[in-house]
Amino acid sequence: MPELDQGANRLTFKLVYYGPAQSGKTTNLIQLHDLAVAEMKGELMTLETQHDRTLFFDLLPLGFRTSSGLTIRFRLFTVPGQTAHDGTRKAVLSRADGVVFVADSQRGQATNNGESFNNLAENLARVGLVLDRLPLVVQFNKRDLPDILAEDDIRQRYVGAPWPLLFSAAVQGSGVRETFAALLHQVWRRYAGELELSRVHGLNEDSFVAGALGVSL
Amino acid sequence: MNVEVAFDRDFVLAELITPKDANEMAAALQVMLASPIAVLDAAGRHFGGTPPTSAAQRAPLTLELEPVGFLAGDCAADRLNAAAGVFRWGLLSRARFRMTSDLHLEAVRADYAKLQQQNEALGNSEKKFRKLSETLDAKVKEQLSVIDARQRQLYQAERLASIGQLAAGVAHEINNPLGFIGSNLSSAERYVASFARLQPSVPTEVWRALDLDFVLEDFSCLLKDSRAGVDRIARIVKDLKGFSSIDQPEEQFVDLNAQLESLVSIINGQKPAEVSIETHFEPLPPLLCLPGHLNQAFLNILQNALQAVGSRWVIRILTRASAESITVHIADNGPGIPEEIRSRIFDPFFTTRRVGDGTGLGLTVAHDIVLAHSGSISVLSPTDGGATIAVEIPV
Repeated sequence: MPELDQGANRLTFKLVYYGPAQSGKTTNLIQLHDLAVAEMKGELMTLETQHDRTLFFDLLPLGFRTSSGLTIRFRLFTVPGQTAHDGTRKAVLSRADGVVFVADSQRGQATNNGESFNNLAENLARVGLVLDRLPLVVQFNKRDLPDILAEDDIRQRYVGAPWPLLFSAAVQGSGVRETFAALLHQVWRRYAGELELSRVHGLNEDSFVAGALGVSL
Repeated sequence: MNVEVAFDRDFVLAELITPKDANEMAAALQVMLASPIAVLDAAGRHFGGTPPTSAAQRAPLTLELEPVGFLAGDCAADRLNAAAGVFRWGLLSRARFRMTSDLHLEAVRADYAKLQQQNEALGNSEKKFRKLSETLDAKVKEQLSVIDARQRQLYQAERLASIGQLAAGVAHEINNPLGFIGSNLSSAERYVASFARLQPSVPTEVWRALDLDFVLEDFSCLLKDSRAGVDRIARIVKDLKGFSSIDQPEEQFVDLNAQLESLVSIINGQKPAEVSIETHFEPLPPLLCLPGHLNQAFLNILQNALQAVGSRWVIRILTRASAESITVHIADNGPGIPEEIRSRIFDPFFTTRRVGDGTGLGLTVAHDIVLAHSGSISVLSPTDGGATIAVEIPV
């Protein structure tokens, strides 16, 4: 559940980029830092890395103020993808309000994607979150690489799944904003009612997404 | 440090720097900027350094989106901002350190919990295997005894089959001559009657000299005895066929009372005259069984009882039916079965007789056959002496 700080009049959404090792989670945040033109945008905080691979997490803060004076803040985290860092992954995932699952489109990575998704489901259960009720979008990244699964095949595979499917080439910046926007739409639909974002704060789905991204998508 | 706090919480200034450090930093900045510098918290309250004047400028110390505090001082804004930038780097390093270490703690706890779960699972499976290895020996023995019993059944079935074949052959071979002996006897009786009618034509002295009155009378008696003998042979053949069930190798519905009757007629020929066999049969429902095998089982029990009673006593056979099963009791008034060997009498090759007198397989075979019919066999020792073998077979 998003954290509402009454004193500071601030609402915080924790959004987590999850996925197998080296699928491009950090790249998503780096690009988003450049592409998003939110009213409030912090620096991308990258914690320790080892050979360019995330050891703890990355954090990108974005935010905007509503006409009602509420500060809406999005804290975007990445998890370390390597299998060995499961404890860290679980800790980062706890208290998440939404998840982007960043899958690797390369043919050889299907197994890693599957294992990582299972790990996501497992860790969600361990931190007390329910997969069916959590805003989630699936991004197939690395569309710029040569040996990748066809879009149609992937859509075919996910035909029964309830989550929005997005395709991206994060290193080139394509699909990154669209993925984040898709998650924001999910987040709005999940929480807007409970938090009275329309009634009290004069927001609607589009202005919510536009506030976070600086553009309407 | 409180390990319960979340790594991703929002830090307040006091978590990132002590007032003493803030004072030192402010003093250093004061020298560099040549102006008193104050450190304020997010709400603008004085936290360290020289308290600001009302005209003091403020530069925010922002880690993410909103300031965690301010630098305040009466100096040019660009200078103050530059100083705040340096100050912020210090705070940011502290924040990163705190986040990393808190996250590390959470991760360690998560990993530890998982390891504990795995350890518990391993412990459980170890327990399971230990238990398994303890029972393995008993299980192997149990399986061996099952195999052993099956082998004996197989051996017995083969033996029964060959006895059956032999009996069928013998019955067939005897039946043919029996047929013509019987018919010849009838002819002979008619011929004797014809000879009797010769009397008026034979001179009396010759008739008397040859003692033909006696001859004719005795001839009739001989023929009558022979007829009785032939009938008896025919009945034995019939019983033999019935006993070995040579005509019925498959499972079928039989009246167990009738089977026991034919068994008793066979035994009657073997038993000493002093031993009497009493039967108390209640009406029984038809029983689906292998009649030849069951007969063998009851024969073995009866023979055992016969040997026990010796020559003076009584064997009783009782049958009784309930809704679920048929019970047969074979009771004798012999010396009974001593307590210490009662548990072993069904064991293979266990015998109380001298070597050569018994194989030690009789009751074992009976036991196996009853078991093969999903029944049970047990020894009862009535208070009035003797022994009773009770067989119960589900209907």
